[in-house]
Amino acid sequence: MPGPAVELIHVRKTYREGESERVVLDDVSVTIEPGQIAVLVGRSGSGKSTLLNLIAGIDRPTAGRIVVDGIDLTALDEDARTRFRRRRIGFVFQFFNLIPLLTIEENLLLPLELNGVTAAAGLARARGLLERVGLGGRGGSLPDRLSGGEQQRVAIARALVHDPALILADEPTGTLDAETATAVLALLDGLAREAGKTVVMVTHSREVVGVADRIFSVQRGGLVAQSTGAGPSERGGG
Amino acid sequence: MKRQLVRIALRHLGRHPWQVGLAVLGIALGVAVAVSIDLANQSARRAFSLATEAVTGRATHQIVGGPSGLPDDLYRALKVDLGARLAAPVLSGDVAAADRPGRTFTVLGIDPFSEAPFRPYLGEERGAVTSGAPGEATGERRPPPPRDRLSTVAALVTRPGAVLIARGTARDLGLAVGDRLAVRAAGVPRELTVVGLLDPGDPASARALDGLLVTDIASAQAIFGAPGRLARIDLIVADDAAGRALLDRIRRALPPGAEVVASGVRAGSTAQMIRAFQWNLTALSLLALVVGMFLIYQTMTFSVVQRRPLIGSLRAIGVTRAEIFALVMGEAALIGVVGTVAGLALGWALARGLLGLVTRTINDLYFVLSVRDVTLEPLALAKGVLLGVGATLAAALAPALEATGAPPRVVMSRGALETGARRLVPRVTGVGVGLLAVGAIILALPGGIVSGFAGLFVLMVGCALVAPASALGLLRLLDPATSAAFGILGRLATRGIVAALSRTSVAIAALMIAVSAAIGVGIMIASFREAVVGWLEGTLRADIYVSAPSLVGNRPDATLDPALVSRLGATPGVARVGTSRGVVVPGPGGPVQVVALDVDPARPPRWRFRDGSAAAVWADDGDTVIVSEPYANRRGARVGQAVRLRTDRGERDFPVGGVFYDYGSSAGVVVMSRRTYDRFWDDRRVSGVAIEAAPGVDLPRLMAALRERAGGGQEVVVRSNRALREASLEIFDRTFAITSVLRTLTVAVAFIGMLAALLALQLERAREIAVLRTLGLTPRQVWGLVTAETGLMGLLAGVLAVPGGLLLAGILVFVVNRRSFGWTMPIDPSPAILLQGVALSVLAAVLAGLYPAWRMARALPADALRDE
Repeated sequence: MPGPAVELIHVRKTYREGESERVVLDDVSVTIEPGQIAVLVGRSGSGKSTLLNLIAGIDRPTAGRIVVDGIDLTALDEDARTRFRRRRIGFVFQFFNLIPLLTIEENLLLPLELNGVTAAAGLARARGLLERVGLGGRGGSLPDRLSGGEQQRVAIARALVHDPALILADEPTGTLDAETATAVLALLDGLAREAGKTVVMVTHSREVVGVADRIFSVQRGGLVAQSTGAGPSERGGG
Repeated sequence: MKRQLVRIALRHLGRHPWQVGLAVLGIALGVAVAVSIDLANQSARRAFSLATEAVTGRATHQIVGGPSGLPDDLYRALKVDLGARLAAPVLSGDVAAADRPGRTFTVLGIDPFSEAPFRPYLGEERGAVTSGAPGEATGERRPPPPRDRLSTVAALVTRPGAVLIARGTARDLGLAVGDRLAVRAAGVPRELTVVGLLDPGDPASARALDGLLVTDIASAQAIFGAPGRLARIDLIVADDAAGRALLDRIRRALPPGAEVVASGVRAGSTAQMIRAFQWNLTALSLLALVVGMFLIYQTMTFSVVQRRPLIGSLRAIGVTRAEIFALVMGEAALIGVVGTVAGLALGWALARGLLGLVTRTINDLYFVLSVRDVTLEPLALAKGVLLGVGATLAAALAPALEATGAPPRVVMSRGALETGARRLVPRVTGVGVGLLAVGAIILALPGGIVSGFAGLFVLMVGCALVAPASALGLLRLLDPATSAAFGILGRLATRGIVAALSRTSVAIAALMIAVSAAIGVGIMIASFREAVVGWLEGTLRADIYVSAPSLVGNRPDATLDPALVSRLGATPGVARVGTSRGVVVPGPGGPVQVVALDVDPARPPRWRFRDGSAAAVWADDGDTVIVSEPYANRRGARVGQAVRLRTDRGERDFPVGGVFYDYGSSAGVVVMSRRTYDRFWDDRRVSGVAIEAAPGVDLPRLMAALRERAGGGQEVVVRSNRALREASLEIFDRTFAITSVLRTLTVAVAFIGMLAALLALQLERAREIAVLRTLGLTPRQVWGLVTAETGLMGLLAGVLAVPGGLLLAGILVFVVNRRSFGWTMPIDPSPAILLQGVALSVLAAVLAGLYPAWRMARALPADALRDE
């Protein structure tokens, strides 16, 4: 029986603001099981993105432990956390954040290359994924040639290309129109479930809530399990 | 400007201390270099003119003689027979303080009773001669009673070796009236006695008198071993018919070899050569400011880009284009003013350091000059302000116009800026090519030093404008190689430079100019040194050289006692003695340096000849001479033509047999055999002796024997061939020490420019780097990526600096050197210098990138992503 995909144990995060200290997260403990899609909702500034950054290991908690895929991130140094992240985590950003200097294909090859996969070996996988997200044949384009929805599809492909255990998505539909948002969400949901990936997603969008297995509300620094979502796993799907 | 806009500008500057600080530092350094050279030059020039004025005084004309000067009977004849009432004899020369190394004085031998109209500091008009009771302290100043003045003059005339010295100089040296001062004149020890103090009436006269020892003409004749001789006779002649008639009478009465010249003609030619040297320094110093302008351009462009949303918003709420323009230019002006003020202070401090180098070179090459203080010239400071603020505003003009030119919505978005920058590349390249052509035309046309440097500057700006396109081309070539070697990260490094072309190209161009200057000047100096080494090898063919100590590095103005020369020749182990005599003789085109050599016709100097040869000079009984290249270039002398010189037998033409490469004197020399010289001049003195040792003789032992023979009388310098060669090269290296300082400062400004560009890019790329970190790039990989990018920029600048440097070297060698000093040399583009230039460029860029790379690697990705 594998352990939880993500485990937060008494996590506290504060920021210094001049002389005072602002508490963003206080004594947060939660467990997310493998293959689940967990959604974090809450008001702007409630600490949703901070929580996501802590799980990704790009920020450090003030106190508490964060265990991802059985590894205690708080016990790792910066270098080890980075190496863990490059292997085990895929990230989808609100503003896509594709590297503008690299072509679409090269954007996908980058995580593979960082994991030691040669370009020749990774090319087939990158192209296959681009086909899956409906952008086959656009691999040679630079990101600024693509629409917002297309860029986010590339970002999803980039998050999956190196086969990570955990996908983190920060407002993946936040800048897209409703129709495109639905399509992008469906794509993320489908690909993640198909590959059995755990997804932690931050959102404001009601459509996203619809695909969630679990929904958490970030309020006054705490995490409240709002409800079990109506995601396919709850409905007996995928 | 509206108060809120001023507040915006000030807060923006306050929030970017690094950026503003580097811009201020760049301008400050640029201004400091230009101002310091200007101040040092002006101080040296002022000292030169004061020193000249102190010796020349108010004379309108001078009677000058040949190498042995004038007989003092001539002075009597002038006064008594020709009625030249205002005439004053002078015998002056330089001496060194025996017990104060490096301290020199000009001894001015005069007739105290004829002096007053000529040099007023000796009379009553502006200052006064203070007599003194023995031991009189030098600190206080009081008007001298007439009787005291009379007794001082009496002491000057009657006591051998009695001198007057300026009160300030005496105070510096701790001398009081009655004290003795030991000096060496051409190596011969002399003892002088201070009999009075000169109290100049104003600071200008005080500076003029600094380092001057005034003595009676008879004492001067004794000091310089020239009994019955005068160096010249000063005249004050009215510029009217009577005056002209008097001059005609004087001319007719002059002995052969003597002539009447207008005052200042002699000093003028030295001043002209010093000016050429100083022009070179000024041009190099301006280069630092040009590089500083790139830095300002970069800072202001970045400042506009950084505030694109703010400027867009301001425009949207109704702030006019003119107000935005004023906002940007106002910020630039503030940076310019602060940088300039800092630069002026720094420049003054730097000038004190550089003054020593400038003066040393002038002493080595041209004239004995004593300058110990930088004079704060208001004009130099005003020029500094104009340069600093002007350069800043000029550099900020383009970004300010960019900011105001676009409609509110798209004000300088990064993408718009980069697209605009890339679109501009062909146009900028076109202008650059045009400037290269214009520069080439300016250089091809005949002209002086100023037009030479103008052409050089136009060419360098042309090179800078061609740099972006060249960098893009090189990056396109490099891209496959960096991809193959470093994968996608390698590709990121090359494309990162292209993506931020508006900033990176400016940094590359600035660094390229600085490195081109380093390469160009380096090649010029190396070629020059190589030529000098070859020239020394050809010139110095004896084993041992003996000369009297000279106060000007390259001017053999001191002579050896003839008895000593005979004694040296008779030393056991000496196979042959050759002599040289260097003199300055009058010619129709001004004074000419003549060198008479007594050489073994079988072993003549092996000079390289541009035209003709010296065969006729050594072998022939005729009077053929050879001239140095600077002489030929300055006076248009050619083989087959004649050089006209005023000899002791009257004016004579000497046919030119050859033009040889010579780096001993930028004034140029005429070389003749001693036989020819003796035929036309009544001067049997010797400036230097070249000794060939008999086969098998131990040189150090022979040198010791020569020193022993010379001991007791005149101090002489006995040097081996090798030592003399080394001493000559030491002077050469000293001459270029200041050039190296300027080169380093220019690279330092470019370094700051690169650092500023990289820090600006770091701010812009924070999010991109954060994404890469999120994707799994370790801090070390980020550091490596940024360092690779900066190293690549350095490499591009270095590679582009190679043709730029070669071009600069060519111009310096074939145009600037020829026009400034009259000499040319084969250019020697040593691969080592080119590689050093490229390495310097990469090193400067990598060093400049260390801190930004460290900051980028250290930044928490969450912080940058949170700013989304």
